[in-house]
Amino acid sequence: MHIPDGYLSPSTCAVLYGSALPFWCVALRCVKSLFHTRLIPLISVFAAFAFVIMMFNVPIPGGTTAHAVGVGIATVVLGPWASMLSISAALFLQALFFGDGGLTTLGANCFNMAIIGSLAAYLVYHLLARRAAITASRRVVAAAIAGYVAINASALCAAIELGLQPLLFKNAAGAPLYAPYPLSISVPAMMIGHLTFAGLAELVITGGVVAYLQRANPILLAHAAPGARLAGIEVLEAARRDTARTIRSLWTAIALLLVLTPLGILAAGAAWGEWSAKDFSNPAVRAQIMAVSEHASPPAQTPRGLARLSTVWTAPFPNYSPSFVRQRAFGYMLSAMFGVGVIILISLFTSWLAARIRPGPGEVETEEA
Amino acid sequence: MPAGSRQTRSFIERTAAVLVDALERAFYAEEVAHEPGFLQRLDPRIKLLGILALMITVVAVRSLKVIAGLFLVALIIAVLSHVPLRSLLKRVWVAVLLFTGVIALPALFTTPGRIAGRLPALGWTITAQGLTSAGFLVARAETAATLCVLLILTTPWAQVLKALRVLKAPVVLVTILGMTYRYLFLLLETARDMFESRRSRLVGKLNGSERRRVAASSAGVLMSKSFDLSSEVYSAMLSRGFHGEVYALDEFESRPFDWIMLGACALVIAAAFWLGG
Amino acid sequence: MSVAEPAVFELRDVTYRYHQVKALDCLCLAIRPGSRVALLGANGSGKSTLLRILDGLCFPQEGSVWFCGQPLSEETLARDGFGFRRRVGLVFQNPDVQLFSPTVFDELAFGPLQLRWPTAEIRRRVSETLDLMEIAHLRDRSPHHLSMGEKKRVALASILVLDPEILLLDEPTAALDPKSESHMIDFRVRAKGGAKTIVTATHDLDIAEDIADTCCVFQEGRVAAEGPPSQILSNVPLLEQTSLLHSHLHTHKSGAVHAHPHLHRHEH
Repeated sequence: MHIPDGYLSPSTCAVLYGSALPFWCVALRCVKSLFHTRLIPLISVFAAFAFVIMMFNVPIPGGTTAHAVGVGIATVVLGPWASMLSISAALFLQALFFGDGGLTTLGANCFNMAIIGSLAAYLVYHLLARRAAITASRRVVAAAIAGYVAINASALCAAIELGLQPLLFKNAAGAPLYAPYPLSISVPAMMIGHLTFAGLAELVITGGVVAYLQRANPILLAHAAPGARLAGIEVLEAARRDTARTIRSLWTAIALLLVLTPLGILAAGAAWGEWSAKDFSNPAVRAQIMAVSEHASPPAQTPRGLARLSTVWTAPFPNYSPSFVRQRAFGYMLSAMFGVGVIILISLFTSWLAARIRPGPGEVETEEA
Repeated sequence: MPAGSRQTRSFIERTAAVLVDALERAFYAEEVAHEPGFLQRLDPRIKLLGILALMITVVAVRSLKVIAGLFLVALIIAVLSHVPLRSLLKRVWVAVLLFTGVIALPALFTTPGRIAGRLPALGWTITAQGLTSAGFLVARAETAATLCVLLILTTPWAQVLKALRVLKAPVVLVTILGMTYRYLFLLLETARDMFESRRSRLVGKLNGSERRRVAASSAGVLMSKSFDLSSEVYSAMLSRGFHGEVYALDEFESRPFDWIMLGACALVIAAAFWLGG
Repeated sequence: MSVAEPAVFELRDVTYRYHQVKALDCLCLAIRPGSRVALLGANGSGKSTLLRILDGLCFPQEGSVWFCGQPLSEETLARDGFGFRRRVGLVFQNPDVQLFSPTVFDELAFGPLQLRWPTAEIRRRVSETLDLMEIAHLRDRSPHHLSMGEKKRVALASILVLDPEILLLDEPTAALDPKSESHMIDFRVRAKGGAKTIVTATHDLDIAEDIADTCCVFQEGRVAAEGPPSQILSNVPLLEQTSLLHSHLHTHKSGAVHAHPHLHRHEH
């Protein structure tokens, strides 16, 4: 997701630097008022931490490894503003020293990963964790999902930025000057990788580190969790066992979701909300929509809102064939989701089976993320 | 789960290898920075400005020939600055080609336009627009990456920071970047030691979830250490009179040579825009 | 204990808790001007905490700390500007936390810059100190390229550049041969007329005689014994009892919970 130099036009880069700037300014002010004079060492050391985390090979279900960004865990521990600054500093150094991401595209990368990522992670974490105790397993689940959502939100932003390039910047002969793929390709291509590998890596790291900190250093989790109760050490052990169980059910839920979503959509023959405006005037399609909408008859006329929306969507793209390409890309995405879901289910089942066959003292521990 | 000890090993070894590689790269950067070459002699401020301007030019121009010309300029600078081309080839050109090349390849077929050729076996059509587009992507990425590496290889990090400060970047941000780089090494070493000691202790099998636990708890340990480190550093700063503001001592002396080179850089950029804007 | 000149530091019934764990327990201590004090004790006996309190980095929950006859607290430290920071310098045990600047030169210049010295003065003092510590050749190096011994020397130099009246050292020989370290301290003291107060925390009994004229033996956050080095170092039962000798024979109480592993504190 680190966009290199040359993929985005100078004007896109400028716009994204411009969009990142106010966030950086607000973040600096917020962090200053939160951490006072501690700001500099805190942000610096955590930027270094994020940098190292980006180099970790995180094992994900299915036997492969992927890299995480660390934005989930940085937000959970430091809060969104400090996380924004730390991740931005880490991205700058990565671009400069390791060529991961460009310098002209640094604004874009910071906007996607540091800013959107931190805000998304913060929102999800707080919505899900609410006022749960610091050592509650609910926080592990909330953090894991926050990391997953944050990475996918960042990837979606990057995909949109890349996908807009060929529509806006072409030479006289019609050849794209920057990233060559339109939204119909860039969005699914990015999202397949991030809904699966990169997203899971972030999920594993965020949830896993929170689970670790709950046992080893719960005070760290209290910084960015106002209103949470900090439980005594004696309840940590119980919380830990509880966590193991919740993590397993979390995995199961995700796997089922991944498997059932494509199945449900394929069974219905059409995706809810995926109809093009044309479908409404086609009687066969209307019957199908009626079937999946539990026989609530759809309007014969295209709903005016949908019509307006669809022209907004297609107007800037003259050479764009929405239904066909979107359908195919959508199909890829569905099969990827299905595949990953099946893999997770199989590995869950195997480990469950292994535990039945060879029950040992490590049984509880092995199921921790 | 079929994850045996071989796989466990390779996951831990891979992570340790990446960390060691990162350390070695950074050390290499400081070595070339002390060679007596062309870029090394330039005033860091002028070097920073010049190279950033060249990078923006590479991204902005709309002619493949002009980008190729700028690549040639980068090549000449590299030779004059004693940067070994072999290391550029390995670290930049091949690495970028592998990444961007793979990304650009499908564009040959998917970009609509005039048909320029057909793939022999599969019969897929390659468009002229696709070729141009892939060419732009690869050429821009290669040239910009080369320029960025030249800057980093020929400038000690402390001088980059000073140049940033002189060019009016906020002192707080520059201090954060400097300190991040400083503690990056400490944390990298800590992480490497952690993985190496884990590797020496691990003899049995680890299944998938255990490996995930190893990764997550390593990250967790690192996070706790980071937090302790940041409070210790804060104490050390307080002890020496720090109270939230940072001050810096920056003086650069630019000679006529530096200004001539800035002029030359401006000339190259102007020519690039005139030919391919 | 009434004398004409007030003690540099005086601690009265100081108790400091770190997350419910008592690091200092009703500690009373006075440090005379010009004295060289060694704080002896095993790891976790409260020496480092004491140095931090003396340096005004943390403040005790109970009891009071006096600096040259004035109370030392967060408020007085904030009010007095930089007089205190200028006069008292602490060299941390881990030089990595103290070397946070991009180069050795920047590191030495950090303190003077914070104290707003004039630029010419800063340059003069920094290059003087670099020569004094024989590290002028490291001037433009990054701290992470230095050896442990070099890091320790730079850390000491970064404090000496401020020319503090009171020098606090935390385990100065932890990763260094004792001779070169005590040589550096002696050199430093001689060069400046020898009127410095130096407080050194260490568990290294070999250097105590060289660096101190008074030894305080620490145990569980209290002073177990105080006296001249010759007297303390010959008291073998005392040293054994305070873990300074045969410290590996110590047993931990079973069931003691390690809430904060990085503290390395053991409960007896």
